[in-house]
Amino acid sequence: MNKFLSLLKKELREMLTAQTIGLLLFMLIMMYSMGGMMTKSSEEAQEQSGRITICDLDKTDFSESVIEFLKHPTADMTNDVNVFEPESDDYAAELKRLGVKSFVVLSQGFSDKITSGEQAEIIYVSRMTSLATMSNMNVGSETAVQLISAAVKSALYTQKVSEGALTEAEAVLIEAPVGVTEHTIVNDKSENVSQLILYSSLYSRSLFMPLVVYIMVLLGSQTMINAVSAEKIDKTLETLLSAPVSRLHIICAKMLAAAVIAILNASVYMIGMNNLTINITGELPDDIGENLKSLGLVFDLKTYLLIGVQMMLTMLIALSLAMILGAFAKDIKSSQTLLLPLMFITIIPFMASMFTDISGLPGMFKYLLYAIPFTHTFTATDCVLFGKTNEYIFGLIYQIIFLIICLAITVKIFTSDSIFTMTEHSVGLFKKKAAPAED
Amino acid sequence: MSEQGEVVLQVDHLSKQYKKGVYASRDVSFDVKKGEIFALIGPNGAGKTTTIRMIATLLKPTEGDAKVGGKSILTDPAGVREGLTYLPDEAGAYKNMKGRDYLRFMAEMYAHSKQQADGFVADAEKICGLGDRLNDKIGSYSRGMTRKLLLARTIMPRPLVAILDEPTSGLDIINALEIRRKIKALAAEGMSFLLSSHNMLEIEYVSDRVGIIAKGHLLELGKPQELIQKYEADNLEDVFELVVMKKDIKGW
Repeated sequence: MNKFLSLLKKELREMLTAQTIGLLLFMLIMMYSMGGMMTKSSEEAQEQSGRITICDLDKTDFSESVIEFLKHPTADMTNDVNVFEPESDDYAAELKRLGVKSFVVLSQGFSDKITSGEQAEIIYVSRMTSLATMSNMNVGSETAVQLISAAVKSALYTQKVSEGALTEAEAVLIEAPVGVTEHTIVNDKSENVSQLILYSSLYSRSLFMPLVVYIMVLLGSQTMINAVSAEKIDKTLETLLSAPVSRLHIICAKMLAAAVIAILNASVYMIGMNNLTINITGELPDDIGENLKSLGLVFDLKTYLLIGVQMMLTMLIALSLAMILGAFAKDIKSSQTLLLPLMFITIIPFMASMFTDISGLPGMFKYLLYAIPFTHTFTATDCVLFGKTNEYIFGLIYQIIFLIICLAITVKIFTSDSIFTMTEHSVGLFKKKAAPAED
Repeated sequence: MSEQGEVVLQVDHLSKQYKKGVYASRDVSFDVKKGEIFALIGPNGAGKTTTIRMIATLLKPTEGDAKVGGKSILTDPAGVREGLTYLPDEAGAYKNMKGRDYLRFMAEMYAHSKQQADGFVADAEKICGLGDRLNDKIGSYSRGMTRKLLLARTIMPRPLVAILDEPTSGLDIINALEIRRKIKALAAEGMSFLLSSHNMLEIEYVSDRVGIIAKGHLLELGKPQELIQKYEADNLEDVFELVVMKKDIKGW
């Protein structure tokens, strides 16, 4: 039994390494952070769904009663309903003027149509600002549309039942008394299409870019950390650094090679994913394609170029950070452990950008995420498609500054004693007793 | 040993302090002449590798200087690197490269023209004696083969000084003997060597002069036979023991 316990203890000691513990902690922190962000986002969405902005062009007793119903759908429920007078028939301008994400319009003749037994029309206008999931769910006045239908249904039901038997046509009308025409605004351009349909059409593509960035960063970093640590462990680095060759050339060659491999990997994933996406979702219907084009939601050369610049910066930052981390490695195991911090700062913005519009997050979360240089590449697609120019430029400048600092540190390490003297323990990356200096 | 005279490596009061008050190497001075094999001997942790790394421009000295072919490691490290090659202890090579490709790669680091690089590679192929195995990946080499390849790489540019840290460590008797013979033959042709080893008997056989180093201090300097006579010892190993014990008693 004692022998078994000794064996078990040995196995646990071998398996429960700093790396394993680090991974567990990382997962825990990531889940907590993501949970926090999701809670904030859904709270905001919830709050928004209770805020209804409506324009009554019908101006009849019936339409006013519908608005009253919206304000107090039940005795114990009150909605924040804001009724406004339009200044123009330009929906984009009205959204901007009101400073809201969406509004509902009760069209002229709304009551007449209901009373004459026809389906009445309401117009639902919303602004699309992100491809993130939470930004395209519970977009405010959707609730209003449901409530209007309920209000009309209730009024009709009472009226028709009091009149006696229902005809077949009336029964159908009661089921769906209101028809919705949806308009989506993107960058002041308006199209007669549902935001949800646009989002569904772009969903696979919106997932695509961050995934490619994520893969590129992780594969590139891993390649670089392995390359640097292997050179250090095999002492080929000492041979190379004692040869008459510029150290800057050594750094650049390493970075370029790792970048090429990462881009190669990313391209394979890109082609594969694109093929997979088309096979799963099929090609976009022509009319949706036209809508997307009119709204500027297309991945054209300019979009790819702007996102590409961000991706390149992210790649260079990741490689530079990986070079710095790789310089800490003293064996293969430690080189794997050193990848953890990079994984950590890549996966958090990756997940966050998929679920929520980072620019709309509360201060602390937003700035913490913006401090991670990779965040700006994950949000680049949103910035380019939805005209968030300032955010894009800020991200670009931040990444350039971050890259310069990283490169300066990398050059400093490779041109000083540090490359031979530092280990992860010597700077307390993973707490252990400091390793003694070499002979 | 060839005619010696011109100093190709001059080490002046070289010190390396890692932490305040903790010296890995302290006030080390010696020189190496053209065609000379100079060896630093000492136990593990004595400061041999630190001293060598400073000369190879990998570490910056805290104090002192060293000159290779008159070029200072402090003011002209790039110039110093033109004049020396370095073979670290237990060094590896790129496992996915073929032996010949590795020699070509390293030759290109030192050569100023393609022709010169071709010449370096041709020389290295002869020196290492690996024949057709040079077409195989280095990952498939034995330790002895890798060491021969690395030695050939170190020697092929015909540097002013070749620095070899534990050149035969981990090798069997035959391979070690072959490497020692090659070093002696090349020194006879005028190449200078700075060796580091804790194998005293090997050093006694191969080197012209030795420096005994312990706890970062260079304690004794001279020709092996002169030191053996001075300390009335049987061999260099005994000399080392006597030198280190004497200094220990003095409490430095």
